[in-house]
Amino acid sequence: MPRSAMIAAVRSQREPDMSSLFTRRQGLALLGAATLPAWRTARAAPDAAAAPGVAPAPAGAASAVLRSNVPPITIAPLALRQRRLANGLQVVSVPTRNGATVSVQVWYRVGGKDDPAGRSGFAHLFEHMMFKRTKHMRDEMFDRLTEDVGGQNNAFTAEDMTAYQNEVPSNHLERLLWAEAERLAHLQVDQGNFDSERKVVIEELRERVLADPYGRLFNALPQHGFEQHPYRRPVIGSEADLNAATLGDVQRFHATYYRPDNAVLIVVGDFDPPQLDGWVDRYFGPLVAPAQPIPRVTTTEPARTADSRVTVKAPNVPLPAVALVWKGPPVAHADAPALEVASALLSAGDSSRLNEALVYNARAAQAAGFAAELYADAGLLAAYAIAASGQGLRKLEDALLTQIGALARGKVPVAEIDKVRTQLLTAALLSRQTPQGQADAIGRAVLLHGDAREADQRIARLQAVRVADVQRVLDQYVLRGRRVTIDYVQGAAA
Amino acid sequence: MKRLTAMPALSDLPDLARRRATLALGLPLLLPAALQAAPGVDEPPPALLPRPLVLPTLHEAALANGLAVVVAPRPALPVVSITLLVRAGPEADPPGRPGVAAMTTTLWPKGALRGGRPVPAAELARQAEALGSALDARSSWGGSTLSMTVSSPRLEEALALMADVLRRPLLAADELERARAQALDGLRVTYGNPGEVAALALRRAFWGAVPHGAVAPPAAVQRLQRSDLQAFQALWVRPDRVALVLAGDVTPERAQALAQRLLGDWRAPANPAPSLPLAPPAPIDARLVLIDLPGAGQSGVAVAAPFVASGSADRRTALVANAVLGGGYSARLNQEVRIKRGLSYGAFGSAESFAPGGMFTAATQTNHPTAAQALQLLRGEIVRLADAPPSADELAARQATLVGSFARRLETTAGLSAVLVGQLAQGRPLADLAEHVPGLLAVTPAQVQAFARSHWTAGALRAVVVGDLAAAGAGLAAAAEPQALRLSIADLDLEQPGLRKPGR
Repeated sequence: MPRSAMIAAVRSQREPDMSSLFTRRQGLALLGAATLPAWRTARAAPDAAAAPGVAPAPAGAASAVLRSNVPPITIAPLALRQRRLANGLQVVSVPTRNGATVSVQVWYRVGGKDDPAGRSGFAHLFEHMMFKRTKHMRDEMFDRLTEDVGGQNNAFTAEDMTAYQNEVPSNHLERLLWAEAERLAHLQVDQGNFDSERKVVIEELRERVLADPYGRLFNALPQHGFEQHPYRRPVIGSEADLNAATLGDVQRFHATYYRPDNAVLIVVGDFDPPQLDGWVDRYFGPLVAPAQPIPRVTTTEPARTADSRVTVKAPNVPLPAVALVWKGPPVAHADAPALEVASALLSAGDSSRLNEALVYNARAAQAAGFAAELYADAGLLAAYAIAASGQGLRKLEDALLTQIGALARGKVPVAEIDKVRTQLLTAALLSRQTPQGQADAIGRAVLLHGDAREADQRIARLQAVRVADVQRVLDQYVLRGRRVTIDYVQGAAA
Repeated sequence: MKRLTAMPALSDLPDLARRRATLALGLPLLLPAALQAAPGVDEPPPALLPRPLVLPTLHEAALANGLAVVVAPRPALPVVSITLLVRAGPEADPPGRPGVAAMTTTLWPKGALRGGRPVPAAELARQAEALGSALDARSSWGGSTLSMTVSSPRLEEALALMADVLRRPLLAADELERARAQALDGLRVTYGNPGEVAALALRRAFWGAVPHGAVAPPAAVQRLQRSDLQAFQALWVRPDRVALVLAGDVTPERAQALAQRLLGDWRAPANPAPSLPLAPPAPIDARLVLIDLPGAGQSGVAVAAPFVASGSADRRTALVANAVLGGGYSARLNQEVRIKRGLSYGAFGSAESFAPGGMFTAATQTNHPTAAQALQLLRGEIVRLADAPPSADELAARQATLVGSFARRLETTAGLSAVLVGQLAQGRPLADLAEHVPGLLAVTPAQVQAFARSHWTAGALRAVVVGDLAAAGAGLAAAAEPQALRLSIADLDLEQPGLRKPGR
């Protein structure tokens, strides 16, 4: 499980790795143990009109010509079909030529930031309840409709969103549409199911945060990184708050946020477009959006005014670690693509600056990285390093700052920025291989940018980032920003 | 190039929903009106007829030096996954030298001769990542691999880089020291994670002192010499032990031409590669190993049971039995541990098959006080299968899960490539993949039961719990588990037959 989940999303573990044909990791169990926390790359991109100096996205294929002697990498644009029903439900679909599967996803505009007061972790706990009973479905019937016919289902809760992601053989599409509409309209949670699933979520918290030797560190970043915004509560929540939640909370939360005008239905894969539209009308059309407005978080995160330091202790820290956390812009800000490219220059791959300098050359760190975690309302920038044996945290802190400073103010070879553009483009291309991957890109584009076309446009925006942009944003947000320094050491947990 | 038969269409997937839907459509004639269900209103609408999946055609050829070339063309997107497989993994470590294969592969990308010039690690990483992909080197049972996934315009440069790295690694002394220090630090992190410690100790407890039971703890990593790595490279990395697997946007003709140009002049040694003294599992005496990890955030609970050898005729029955117990969210282990009792975030099974034998593993993580209960549930479910075979619906659902999971692996070039590499590493013909889905679907409940009766008996199980034993309470106390082997993490030595450090 990548550590991205610690701060970006809490994903229900509903499908294990079933690769029984060839268990690739068996022999590596010992030597490959030092995995770098693979944080999710921020999928940030600004509105085109608000991006000074960034070339507008081309209307057609995204592409990059990196060197004149190498053919360009091209990514065909998604064939988006978009509708909005009278009840406010947004529908985005992409028919694809290949395959016999279809991805059916529903993304709701509700996330960890919307946890009720004193109920941290509730949006995620609620997500688990969506797999229980409805008026016309018995407990876990979603698994009967997906897993039992060769499909899969999963869901994740992040700061700003909750997404339900299914992939099924395409002859089951209509059944999934019926079922998603059913749990949107008719969830029925009872006390027994609620108590049992709450225990599961508390075990999930223990597994991610307490059993993982670095779980407590990554859980601490938002708590110390934000000062006002509810983002400061980890999406996974606290055991005490989870235990305080009631069945009444579940019913209120469903009525408040699970409504057609707060949802986006995404269908990608093997389907007939007119047939899809007819089924969507049939199953989602009758749903009614309540009259009352949807409550929204309006807290504004202030700029940090002073540097500070904090020590987080845990009973089982094999090697101490340090994290430096700055405030960043919201995800739709014009500076977001440059921060994503900066993040890749610093920490994508063995040849990234932090790995080469701290892990390889200085042998000061077991792992080092940088992440731009940008959300709808505010963002965090975090640099971190886990110490190599015998190395002090102050030395690591200095090394992290030195490397960021060198990128922000030094010379950046053309080959280095070309490398990062190719890495980002290749990653985007790979994510297009599956209906689930395409639907995921669309979901993030709609939820965070209000426009499904952003799934394509962000690729072009990243390619257009120049070295000067990277240096300007690092200077502004990091070198001239205030930070919290978190030391993570062995000791009795607070 | 020899053209293999295409893999099967997956159109004959068992379709519970369809069966139920048909049933629902037929039943209303017999039921009072009040009990009728209306598809699409208060029950799901029926499924349509399944669409066949179009699976890639496989092409297999060999160069004159014995190097196999396998191509699965898939031109839909301009990407290609490239793997060079060496048919030797940790099972080929010299006796008493665990970690040699893994460390050799770790050092492959850490320096190589390119065009007669030594290219150091940092430059190799820059060269690879400029092509868009990490240079991924790893060693698994049966095979060590070097892989990249790149956009197809970068294929030739990527394969040229990989060929140099595999054929002419520097295996430099300073890189060994660096990698050793990193591996030792990595082990400190591993030893802090209860689930990971449980998996390592379980391998040792189930397989015992045979090659497939070997793991490399810190002392073994300390002992590795550069000469060990050079010997492994000389003995095993030779063209007649290597396969090039390409999946994605490439034609068989282009693949063959590239392979010939970049790998065709590699000469195989005259003497054949040695045969390995592999051995079937020799489990340790203790049926339960309890490892105290004070301050652990959870307990890791894992149970091993015998599984089929890779050549067994029962292999697909065994895979289905694995799926019934632990294959997916709805399988029995997760039903009992998570869904019914809320004891864990998940409980799953996995299985491995090698030439001399195999191991099934059931594993979960739970709060310390419920570790004994989770252990009892995992053991109980494994043994219960012999008396409680799957119903027809349960079997069909788990078969569908297996088939669907297989189909999803084929969706990406990397997944498709991994399936092919797995097949080659296990020494199975690629044409055998065509039999995979029909073979899984042909398994019956009686076959699953017979398999469970012969393999999954209480005495054959080995179990490990790693956690804060003081917090685990009475369920794991000496009174409850008098026969258990008890160790603190400080006393654990995974190279010792008794798992305990000498003199502790």
